Amino acid sequence: MAERKVCIIGGGMSRWGVREASIIDMAQEAAKDCFDDVPALKKQDVDGFLFASSYCGRRSFQVNAAPVIAERIGIKPTSMCTRVDTLCAGGSSGIILATGLIKAGLADIMVVAGGEKLYTPQRWETYYSELASIDHDWEGAQGIGLPPPFFSMTAQEHMKRYGTTKEQLSAVTVKNRRNGSNNPKGHFQKAVTLEEVMASRPIAPPLGLFDCTPVTDGCAAVILTYEDKAKELSDRPLVYVRGTAQVALHSMSMNWPGEHLADWLHLRTAAKKAYERARVGPNDIDVAQTHDCFTISEIIEMEDLGFCKKGEGGPFVESGQSDFGGKIPVNTDGGLLACGHPFGGTGIRQAREITYQLQGRAIRQVEGAKIGLTHNLSGLNVEHTILIYGREP
Amino acid sequence: MTVLGVPILEGLYPSTMDLYPLQAKEFNRIHPFYENLRQNRFTTTKCKKCGNVPFPPRVVCPQCNSDDLEWVDLPTQGKVLRFTEEVAGVPLGFETPLIHALVDLGEGRKFISRVVNCKEGQLKEGATVKLAVFDIPAMIVEKKGVMDEVPRVFFAFEPVK
Repeated sequence: MAERKVCIIGGGMSRWGVREASIIDMAQEAAKDCFDDVPALKKQDVDGFLFASSYCGRRSFQVNAAPVIAERIGIKPTSMCTRVDTLCAGGSSGIILATGLIKAGLADIMVVAGGEKLYTPQRWETYYSELASIDHDWEGAQGIGLPPPFFSMTAQEHMKRYGTTKEQLSAVTVKNRRNGSNNPKGHFQKAVTLEEVMASRPIAPPLGLFDCTPVTDGCAAVILTYEDKAKELSDRPLVYVRGTAQVALHSMSMNWPGEHLADWLHLRTAAKKAYERARVGPNDIDVAQTHDCFTISEIIEMEDLGFCKKGEGGPFVESGQSDFGGKIPVNTDGGLLACGHPFGGTGIRQAREITYQLQGRAIRQVEGAKIGLTHNLSGLNVEHTILIYGREP
Repeated sequence: MTVLGVPILEGLYPSTMDLYPLQAKEFNRIHPFYENLRQNRFTTTKCKKCGNVPFPPRVVCPQCNSDDLEWVDLPTQGKVLRFTEEVAGVPLGFETPLIHALVDLGEGRKFISRVVNCKEGQLKEGATVKLAVFDIPAMIVEKKGVMDEVPRVFFAFEPVK
C-alpha cells in the first residue's frame, strides 16, 4: 500500500471565554460545530478519537477523559481513543499523532478535539493550579507557575539586545485584537488601540495585562482522514498535512539551549525540520498562526520561524509585515491574545483557521492562501511544535 | 479546620494541592538534596562513572545511565543576569512583588530562581545573590494509621548585603 496522504476536512469550536459550562459541555459544543462542518460524515464511521487536555485531571477531577467525551459526543472509536497532554501544544500533538496513525493505516477517520475548563469556582484555584504547568518541584515551588515572569525577562533581553520597544510589543496586541474583532468564537471580540495596550496595568514589566493571553475556557475539534476518503466526504479543496516537528530541548531550571533568553534555538530546530518535511521554506508560507501567548513571543517567533532576520521582529510587526497586506499575515483569527488560550484547544483552533484559510472560507481571508503554518510554544518555553499544511500534498 | 464544600477533607492533608515537593524519604529518592539544604548546602548528583553533573539531581545519570551517583556541592552565590518583578496575578502562597532572576552560578550554569528578602526596585543586573534556605510547612505521612509530620525546607536566593 502506498503511503496515505492525510487531510483535515473540517473543524469547529465552542465559544471561548469565561464560560458557564463544564469541559464535557464545551467538548460537545465543539464536536457539534465540527460535525456540522462536514455534513457528509456519519458519526459511526469515526474510528479514532484523541482529546488534548492538560487540566481535565486537576480542574475537572476527570482523568482518562477521552472515553467519557467520546460517549457524550456519540462516537464509538474502534482504532484509538486516548487523551493527549502537551499543555499549550496538546492539540497540535494530537493532530500530528492522528496524521501518523492515519498514514500508517492504523485509523481511517479521526476526530481530534481538545480544550480546557480553566476557571474553577474560586479564582485562587485557577491560578494556583498553574503551578502544575511546569516542573512542579523545582519551578512551581519557586512561584514560576504562571509564565509572565519568564516572558518579562525574555522581553527585557530582546529590548536591550535589539532595541525592541514597548510600542512594538503593543503592536502585536493591536493587530491580533483587530483580527479577532469579528471572530464570534473568540474570548475578546473588541479591538484595542495602541494607547490602551501601552497603558494596560503592569503584570510583570515590561509586560502589561494586554501583552498577555487571558485565561480562557473552551474546546475545539477537527476531523482528519486519508486523501481518498477526504474527497468522498467533502467538496471543498483538500488541505494536506505536509510536514510536522516537535522539539523539546530542556528543563527550564537549567540547560537553556540558546545563547540568551530571546534566542530560541529549539524553535529554529523545529522550524528547520518542519520546513524540510513539508518541502517548503519560510518564504512559501502564505498565512501563519503562531503562539502569541505574550506579545514578545510573536516577535521572536517571526525571527526564529525565518519570516524576518534575528532582532528585526519588532520593526517587522510594527510596519505591518505580519498583518493583512504585509509579507505574511499572522494570527488571522485573533491568535491567543484575542481568542484566549484553553491549552489543549489552541493547536486545534489554529488548525481550523488554517484549514478555513486554505479552503478560502475564513472570516478574514488571505486571498489565494495555499500553504499555512501553525506553531505552538508549550510549557515555560520547553517545547516548540510546528505543522505545515498545504493545498497540495 | 474545615474545607468548604468538601467536609470529608476536614483535618486531612491533600498532597496534590501542595505547592512544595513531597520531600519525605518515603516519597522521594532525592531527599538528601533537602537534607543538605538544611546545612546551607546547594547540592546535586554527580555521576561517578562519566562525571556528568546535571541539575536538578537524579537517581540515574541521563548521560550514561549509570545509577552510581554521589552528592556534590554547587556554588551558593551567583550573579543576576536578568530579573523580573511580578506585581500582579501571583499564585496563592506568594506575595507581590514576586521577584525572579536568571542567575549565573558560573561554569555555564544558569537557572531561574525566586529572589527573597528583596524590595521592589532594590535588585540590579550584575548583583550578587546567595542561597537562602527557609522553613516551609511540614508534610504529613501516614505510617500505620499514625499521622507523622515531616518538617521541610525550601530555597531561593537573596541579595548579598
